[in-house]
Amino acid sequence: MSGLKVYYLMILFLVQGYVAWAQCCTSGNPFISEAEQPALQSRVLTTSLAYRYSHSGPYYSQDAHFTELPFQETASSNYTELQIGYGVTNWLTVLSELGYFINKTLETPGIDSYKGYGLGDAALYLKFNTYSNPRLRLSISPTIGVKFPVGMFDQEMDYVQLPISVQSSSGGYRYMANLFISKGLGKVALAGFASYEYSQLIQSENFYYKYGDQWIGAIYFNYRPWKRVILDLQIRIEFRGKSNRENEEIVESSGYDVLFFSPQVTYAFKHDWYLSAYGDIPVYNYYNGIQMSF
Amino acid sequence: MKSILIVLIFTIVSLWACSKKNDANPSTDIKIISLTANFNPVMAYDTTVITVEASGESLQYGWVVNHGKLKGSGKTIKYSACQSCIGLNTITCRVFNDTGEMSDTIMIRVTPYHPGKK
Repeated sequence: MSGLKVYYLMILFLVQGYVAWAQCCTSGNPFISEAEQPALQSRVLTTSLAYRYSHSGPYYSQDAHFTELPFQETASSNYTELQIGYGVTNWLTVLSELGYFINKTLETPGIDSYKGYGLGDAALYLKFNTYSNPRLRLSISPTIGVKFPVGMFDQEMDYVQLPISVQSSSGGYRYMANLFISKGLGKVALAGFASYEYSQLIQSENFYYKYGDQWIGAIYFNYRPWKRVILDLQIRIEFRGKSNRENEEIVESSGYDVLFFSPQVTYAFKHDWYLSAYGDIPVYNYYNGIQMSF
Repeated sequence: MKSILIVLIFTIVSLWACSKKNDANPSTDIKIISLTANFNPVMAYDTTVITVEASGESLQYGWVVNHGKLKGSGKTIKYSACQSCIGLNTITCRVFNDTGEMSDTIMIRVTPYHPGKK
């Protein structure tokens, strides 16, 4: 391998479109599964640009629709994210992401809507290629990372602060660790993903809040029926614990458990260009207390 | 080269992180006379109207709440409570003009949602 030392920089570019029927107005950047990939090889650069439309509306009380409220609200967002990954060595990949909300809107019929926009969070991840066996098509890649609240968290309209649910940034640092395991089996590849995220206390002059810890577990099925077409199916469960506010009070109507079914199709163009479309469909929702199904 | 790249990315991302500004300039020309709610406590998913009375020239009003939503602008604003805002919440009103600003707070207690009960 040393004789064939690679000096070229390989660029993979992905353009992705996502539609989600949930995950609209949660705090911070929505989950986009692109970071859940094996580590890159040395001196390989990948970039991806993703667009995601999210829409939500129904309120839930535990696992049932809650229809007793005297009003209806809908939340939607248009979000873009730029991700860059670089294989620094064969065992270390650096990934970064930057999110931007074109809009993050909360609408109630008969009332002017709330609309936030702007930079979301930025993130920096270090992914380690701890085990890779091309013969067995098995790889294990743990990742650690930090999300930085670079965007706006105190947007106002006419000197009135917008609700947190439409602020573009999460307002606090987040620390995460995950593990990605991939195994090829004939024409199919299976992957497992487990992630933990710790949210730092958001403490400012007017605000004191700590989001609950988040756990994500996912199984991916990857199938390539034709040379240029890749099909993915992801089954993902997201769990978030309850939040805390002033005086260590627990916010009872916070935290959730949601199961997603996420099909994805990717077309591979020449010169390592890819185009993906992805849907995020919640098939089971459980919300503590009464909450809008983000 | 590799370590430089890592440091560079980390630095760029960190530099974006902005600190919260605090440039309050107290005014002796502005006086907040009252800051009241039309009812308090308020049930989750209900609203209460908050009004500030202040003296001074060409006043403008800014509003911030720690939990819940505010709608409107000017000296009167509507506070919407939610189930995740249960507890004692702080609404801060900032009154300002060219001479500076003054602020005051009002605490609103939000109680759990019970349909048919005010």
